[in-house]
Amino acid sequence: MSDQILEVRDIHTFIGQFHILEGVSVGVPAGNITVLLGRNGAGKTTTLRSIMGLTPPARGQILFDGKNIAGKHPHAIAQMGIGFVPEHRAIFRELTVHENLQIAERKHGDLARKSEFIFDLFPDLQRLIDLPGGNLSGGQQQMLAIARALVPDNHLLLIDEPSEGLAPVIIEQLMAAIKRLAETCSVLLVEQNFRVASRLAQQYVIIEEGHSPASGEMGSLIHDSDLIQRYLGVA
Amino acid sequence: MEATTRNPSWLRTNGWLLLLLALLILFPFIVGALTDSSPYGVPRGDRMIMRGESVRWQSVLIEVYILAILAMSYNLLFGFTGVISFGHALFFGTSSYLFGLALEFTDLDTGLAIVLGALAGILVCGLLGLLIGLVTLRLKGVYFAIFTLAVAEMFYIFFGRWQLTRAEDGFAISELPTWLDPTQSRLNYYYIALALVVLTFLFIRRLVKSPTGAVFQAIRENEDRAQSLGYNTLNYKLFSIVIAAMLAGVAGLLQVMLNKKVGPELVSVGYTVDPLLMTIIGGVGTLGGPIVGAAGLHLLDIFFRDRELVLGAVTIDIANIWALLLGVIFILVVIVFPYGVIGTWKRWQARALRRQ
Amino acid sequence: MSRTNRSSLIAILVIIGGLVAVAFVNSSSLGNFGITLLSGLFQGMLLFLVASGLSIIFGLMDVLNFAQGAYFMVGAYVAYDAQHAGGLIDLTQAIPDPNLRFPIAVLIAMIVGALLGIILERGLLRPLYARPIYQLVLTFGVALVMAEIIKFLWTTTPYSWTEVFGVRDSFFELFGQRFSTYRLFVVGMGIALIVLIALLLRRSRIGIIIRAGVEDREMVQALGINVQTVFTLVFTLGCAIAALGGAVAAPFLGASTTLGDIFLLQAIAVVVLGGMGSYEGTAIGSIMVGLAVAVAQDAAIGTSFSALPSITPMLLLVLVLLLRPSGLFGNAR
Repeated sequence: MSDQILEVRDIHTFIGQFHILEGVSVGVPAGNITVLLGRNGAGKTTTLRSIMGLTPPARGQILFDGKNIAGKHPHAIAQMGIGFVPEHRAIFRELTVHENLQIAERKHGDLARKSEFIFDLFPDLQRLIDLPGGNLSGGQQQMLAIARALVPDNHLLLIDEPSEGLAPVIIEQLMAAIKRLAETCSVLLVEQNFRVASRLAQQYVIIEEGHSPASGEMGSLIHDSDLIQRYLGVA
Repeated sequence: MEATTRNPSWLRTNGWLLLLLALLILFPFIVGALTDSSPYGVPRGDRMIMRGESVRWQSVLIEVYILAILAMSYNLLFGFTGVISFGHALFFGTSSYLFGLALEFTDLDTGLAIVLGALAGILVCGLLGLLIGLVTLRLKGVYFAIFTLAVAEMFYIFFGRWQLTRAEDGFAISELPTWLDPTQSRLNYYYIALALVVLTFLFIRRLVKSPTGAVFQAIRENEDRAQSLGYNTLNYKLFSIVIAAMLAGVAGLLQVMLNKKVGPELVSVGYTVDPLLMTIIGGVGTLGGPIVGAAGLHLLDIFFRDRELVLGAVTIDIANIWALLLGVIFILVVIVFPYGVIGTWKRWQARALRRQ
Repeated sequence: MSRTNRSSLIAILVIIGGLVAVAFVNSSSLGNFGITLLSGLFQGMLLFLVASGLSIIFGLMDVLNFAQGAYFMVGAYVAYDAQHAGGLIDLTQAIPDPNLRFPIAVLIAMIVGALLGIILERGLLRPLYARPIYQLVLTFGVALVMAEIIKFLWTTTPYSWTEVFGVRDSFFELFGQRFSTYRLFVVGMGIALIVLIALLLRRSRIGIIIRAGVEDREMVQALGINVQTVFTLVFTLGCAIAALGGAVAAPFLGASTTLGDIFLLQAIAVVVLGGMGSYEGTAIGSIMVGLAVAVAQDAAIGTSFSALPSITPMLLLVLVLLLRPSGLFGNAR
C-alpha cells in the first residue's frame, strides 16, 4: 500500500443537511491515472472537493503521502502539492492568461521554470498569453485550467470532467496532454465519457450514491460488461 | 417545524398563545389594580386625562404592538421569502403621511377622512410595493436592497423639505373622534392595536402555512430551484412585497394616531433598521420571532432609557450610553444567538426531542 | 477594463458630459463653472475614499461593511483632535508648525482606522463568513457602537476646524475667480490614489489575487493561497483609506456625528451604481456622483428645490439601476 500517493478512507461529507458522501474510499497509486466513474450526482465531484478541503469531510481519513489532510484548510492542502482543475473550467475570466498562470506560483520563479513544459504541452496558450481568460474558447480555457495546475510542483492533480462540452478534436489534444503530464505526476480524474476514461486511466473507482462499491484495474473493467451496465448505464 | 408537525391537540399548540392573549387583554386592569390607578385615566370635567401607571403602560405596549406589526411584515418578506429590503420605513411613513394629509389638508369630514386616509395609506403602500417590485425584483439581492434604501431615502429627504407638511417639523393631527383618540380613550386604542397584532399574526401564520407560503420559503431556500419547479417566482415575490408593504402601512397608521404627529422621522432609516434588528434578534423566519424581538428591544429601551447604574462610587447614566448598549446587544446576539432567540430555542427543543 | 461594454462607456460619457454641460450653461462665467467643477471633483474624491474600500471589500468578501462611514467619521475626529490644541492627542507642543502637524494628524487618523479595521475583521467578522446577512447586521452594530464611542470621547457638539495653516487657507486665481488650493490638493491626491490603487490591482501579485478572489474565492484557495490573510489586508486597507478620507475632509467639513451616515449612504449609492466589486465602476461612479451633487447645488440656489442636492445621489442610483440592473460595470451574478 505504501506506493499509494493518495488514500481516501471511508469519508462522509455533508453539504448543508444533505449527506452526500456516505463512506467513500479511493486509492490512487503513485505515477498512475485513476478515474472516478459513476452517474451524474453520484458524488464524484464532491469526492474531489472533499480531498481539496473545499467541502471538508465530517468523518474519515484522507492520507496524502501518508499524512492525514482531512480537515486542513484548502490552501494548506494545495501547498502540500495537490493541484485542482475544477469542473466547468473555473479559470479567472477577468485575468489574462499570463495572470491566470502567474497567480498559481507558489514560489517566485515557478512559472519561468515551467513555462517551457507548459507551452510545449499547450502551444496555443503562448499565442493567447495577454488575452483575458474570458475571451478564450472552451477548449483553450480547459487547457489553461490544466496548465495553471502545472505551474507549481504538484505531486497529484485532481481533474474534474476535462472533456465536458468539448469537440472531439479538442478532446484528443487534451487526452494527449494529460497522458504526457501524467509522466511527471499522479492524476485523479473524473470523467463521464467512458471511452476517454478507458483510454486514459490505468485504475478506476466507481462512485454510486455516495458509496464506492467497486474499484480495480481499468483493463479488467473494459471486459466486465455486467459491472459497466450496472453502475454506468453504458453498454 | 419539528415539534408542531406531530399534530397534538389544538389546545396544546395554541394554549400558551391563548393564555398570553388573555393576559394582554387583562393587562390594563392588572396594572391598574397593582398600582391603584384607573385604566381609563383620570376624569376632568367631561374629558379624560391620560394620567396614571395603567395608562402609561398601555402606551408602552401599544408601541410594542406597532413595532411587532412592522417587524412581522418585515419578517414575511425577509424571513419567509428571503428578500432583503432596506427601505421598509418608506411604507411605514408613506401611509402615515397620506393619513395625516387626508385629515389635516382636506375639507373632508373627520370620520370620512379617517376611513379614506387609512384606505388610501394602505393601498398606496401596496401600490408602491408593487411598483418597486416590478422594476427591481429582477435585480439580485443586494441591488434590490440598496434600491429600496435609495427610494426610501429620497422620500425621507423630500418629506424633510416639503413646505406644505412643515418640512422637518412635521405637523400635528388635531382632531380624532373621542373613541379613537389615544389621548382621550387610551384603553380603546390599546384594544384596537392588540386586535391588529393578533390579526396580523394569524394572517401571516395562515399565509406561511398555505401553499403560497411554501413557495415563498422555497424561493428563500433556492430561487432557481423554485423556478425550475415551474413557479413564477417573480409573481410570488411581488405578492410577498405587496402584502408586507400594506402591513407596514397599517403599522404606520397606528403610529400616527398614537402620537398624533406626522413628520419625516417616520420615513427615516430608523424604522427600517428597527424591524430588521427585531426580526434578526427574535428569530428570522419564525412566526413569534418578530414579536419577541419587538417586545424585547422596546421594553429594554424603556427600562434603560432613564436609569442610572450605580457601581460603587461610579454612577453611570444609562440614558447616555443606551445606544452603545444597543450596539453591543446586536453584536452579542449575532454571535451568541446565531438563529435569534426563538430560532435558537427551537433548535434546542429539536435537539432535546431527538435525544429522547 | 477589457470586458467593459461599449454601452456603459457611452452611458458614462453621456452622463458626465451632460453634467458638465449643465454646469457650464448654468454658470454665469467661466470662473463659476470652474468652481462648480472643482467642488464636484472634491466631493467625488471624498466619496471615492469611502466607496473604494466598500466596493473591494464587498467584491472580495461579500461583506457590505456598514461601518465604513463610521471609519470616515473616526478619521475626521482623530485628525481634528491631533491638529488642534487640547483634546486626547495634543501635538501642538511637539510639532508647533501646523503645516507639518497636518500630515502627521492625517497619518495618525489612518493608523487608528487601520487598527480598528483589524479588530473588526479578525475579532468579529471572521467567525461569520458563512453567514453574510449576519455580517451585515454585525457591521451595522459596530457602526452604532463606534458612533456612540465617538460621542462619549468628543461629545455630540460638532467641531468646526479653526486651525489656520498654509494649504488650507491659500487661494489661487483663474478667470477672475478665487479657487481653494486645498480642494485642488485633495482632488490631486484623490486622482493619485485612484491611479495607485489601480496599479496595485493590475500589476502586483496581491492585486492579481484580489481580482481573482472577487471572481472565485474558492479557486484562489485551491491554488494554495490563504484567502483569510488577503481578507484582513484588504479590510484593513479599506478602513484606513476611509479614515484618510475623513481626515482630509475635516479641514473643510469639520467633525460631526452625522458625517458617517451621510458619506456611507452616498458611498453605497456610488458602489452600487458603479457595479458592486468593480473598481473602475467605483472610481467613475464617485466622480459622477460628486459632479452631479455640485451641479445640483448650483441649480438649487434660489429655487424651492432645496432638497435637490441631497436627493441627487439616490436619484442617479435609481436611474442607473433601472437602465442597467447590475450597475455600470457590474457583471450579472
